[in-house]
Amino acid sequence: MNLVQIFISFAIQVEIFFYFCYLIVSYNIFEFVYMKILIIEDEKTLTDSVVEYLHEEGHVCEAVYNYTDAVEKIELYEYDCIVVDINLPDGSGLDIIRRVKKSAKSLGIIIISARNSLENRIEGLEIGADNYLTKPFHLAELNAHLKSINRRINFDGNEQIVINEIKLLPNNHTVFVNDKELKLTRKEFELLVFFISNKNKVITKSGLAEHLWGDYMDMADSFDFIYTHIKNLRSKLLKEGCADYIKTVYGVGYKFDLT
Amino acid sequence: MKLLTKTSLNYLSVTLFVFLFATIAFYYLLRHQVNQNINIELEKRKSNIVNQLLSAHESAAAPTNQNEKILITPLKEIKNPQLNFYDTIIYEHSYKKYIPFRQLGFVTQFNNAAYYIQIYKSLEETDNLIIRIFLIMTFLVILIIIVLLITVRHTSLKAWSVFYDTIKKINNYDINSHNEFSLQQSEVKEFDDLNRVLKAMTARIERDYSNMKEYTENASHELQTPLAIINSKMELLLQSQNLDEKQMKAVADAYEASNRLSKLNKTLLLLAKIENRQFPESKSINPLLMIEKQLESLEDLIDSKEIKVSKQFDEDVFIKMNPYLAEILLANLIKNAIRHNLKGGDLIIKAIKGEICISNSGPEHNIAKGLLFERFHKQSSSQESLGLGLSIVQKICELYNYKVDYNYENKMHNFYINF
Repeated sequence: MNLVQIFISFAIQVEIFFYFCYLIVSYNIFEFVYMKILIIEDEKTLTDSVVEYLHEEGHVCEAVYNYTDAVEKIELYEYDCIVVDINLPDGSGLDIIRRVKKSAKSLGIIIISARNSLENRIEGLEIGADNYLTKPFHLAELNAHLKSINRRINFDGNEQIVINEIKLLPNNHTVFVNDKELKLTRKEFELLVFFISNKNKVITKSGLAEHLWGDYMDMADSFDFIYTHIKNLRSKLLKEGCADYIKTVYGVGYKFDLT
Repeated sequence: MKLLTKTSLNYLSVTLFVFLFATIAFYYLLRHQVNQNINIELEKRKSNIVNQLLSAHESAAAPTNQNEKILITPLKEIKNPQLNFYDTIIYEHSYKKYIPFRQLGFVTQFNNAAYYIQIYKSLEETDNLIIRIFLIMTFLVILIIIVLLITVRHTSLKAWSVFYDTIKKINNYDINSHNEFSLQQSEVKEFDDLNRVLKAMTARIERDYSNMKEYTENASHELQTPLAIINSKMELLLQSQNLDEKQMKAVADAYEASNRLSKLNKTLLLLAKIENRQFPESKSINPLLMIEKQLESLEDLIDSKEIKVSKQFDEDVFIKMNPYLAEILLANLIKNAIRHNLKGGDLIIKAIKGEICISNSGPEHNIAKGLLFERFHKQSSSQESLGLGLSIVQKICELYNYKVDYNYENKMHNFYINF
């Protein structure tokens, strides 16, 4: 009887251990854990779009439209990430960030603001924001930033993204296709990460251009280069026996299609 | 002609004119007065003589003395005797010169005979006196005129100095300079009024101007949020599964257009901010590092056009300006030099002390130099650029008083910045 009990408890422990192992492995396999995100932005329609886009990604999103509600939510609940506008009707988003940082939560913070001066940017990043996006921003860009925050929070950055035959190590900037390393240029790698972050979504050319070059290039210039980079990336992936995931959406942009 | 010179000249000519007539009049008045006195004196002597002749003997008849010369002639001997005062000149032997005399001739009965008597009074002394008085007067008047002229000039100069100062300040007035428009206080009410009106006017202009700039900035700023909504909605729309290709294309075109709009808006906002001097802090920057960074970011563009980049850098080139603006300045010039370059052309970046020169090969164009830095002045109607890059370059240079110049030499477009 005793022996049986010991055995059962041992079995349960082993099971729990394996379950944890499974969880850890499954995290890696399923790319990331979904996050609980609070969006603080007074423009309701914009908030709706963001919530809808992120919801499709599987994140749990909550939205508040003013400072008071935001503070209340933050005090009551735990979030993995907040997306905050600086100009709120009854306060500053920066104060929210200071408040959050004081309670020493290791959560991700993304600022979205119409102000794009260097000082605003520096101030925002100095008080602990991870990213600063100026309005108007691409939803795909916001999503990519959220993914990278997710990797930082949940995997200390040592994460691998596995999508079918592709395995990405974002921190080492390496890619494996069918466990064979693929040599990609920096831009091609960034492109691939961006695609995977926004998989199954139509990504516009300008969204890609802004992600790769920021403000450095004017849009029309960069479209040709996007085309070239994507062509190269696609042919490299195909050469290693990878399925053709990158679809061209005529006149619009591209889609990393897993369906 | 300066107002002061003009008034002085007017004053001088009028006073000289008046003075000329006044002196002439003065001379004759004086002369007249003196003659009257002499006449009275001669009359007195006449009555004396007549009395003497009537009452006395012959011995008393002819008292002669230089000043009291008397000439008695029987009337019969004279054909037409002059009976009255008149001036005459008599040769005086003792002095051996002609001396002016005033003479009174009259007829009187004496010893039963009519005599014509002439009495004289020398005018020499009185003439001398007149001339002296006249000279002294003239001297005094001229002195007064000069002193008056000098004092008037001096006080006017002092009074007008405020006016000249005001003119100088208006001349140098620059609404963008953000210096306080301060005018001197004046003791003259009119000038004070002028300055007060000018101050009120400039204050109003400045207020309107800053309102306008603020409006531009706010408008651009406020535009960003609706643009963000448009963009996000269209991005969501693009994700929907039931759009056909044509609809997708339409949405994408609208999406690109609104992206362009937001870029344009951001750029205009930047221009407004530069004009509003909202980039106050400046640091000493090494432009070479920035140039390298730009070239790295624009690698794709450079490679695709097979542009040969050559750099000539001096070691210790430093520029003192806002780092963000420095980056924009260099990025715009380099981008411009790449975009308008030929395939396989050259891009030469020279940085020496006090000057940065960015040159690119390219065909000659016919844009006037002045228009090159104008907003929205594009060579082609292509959508490649907004046509604001060089305008931003110029605005930044204006902000720091750097000289930006352009020329076309040896099939190269050269842009210079002197700092």
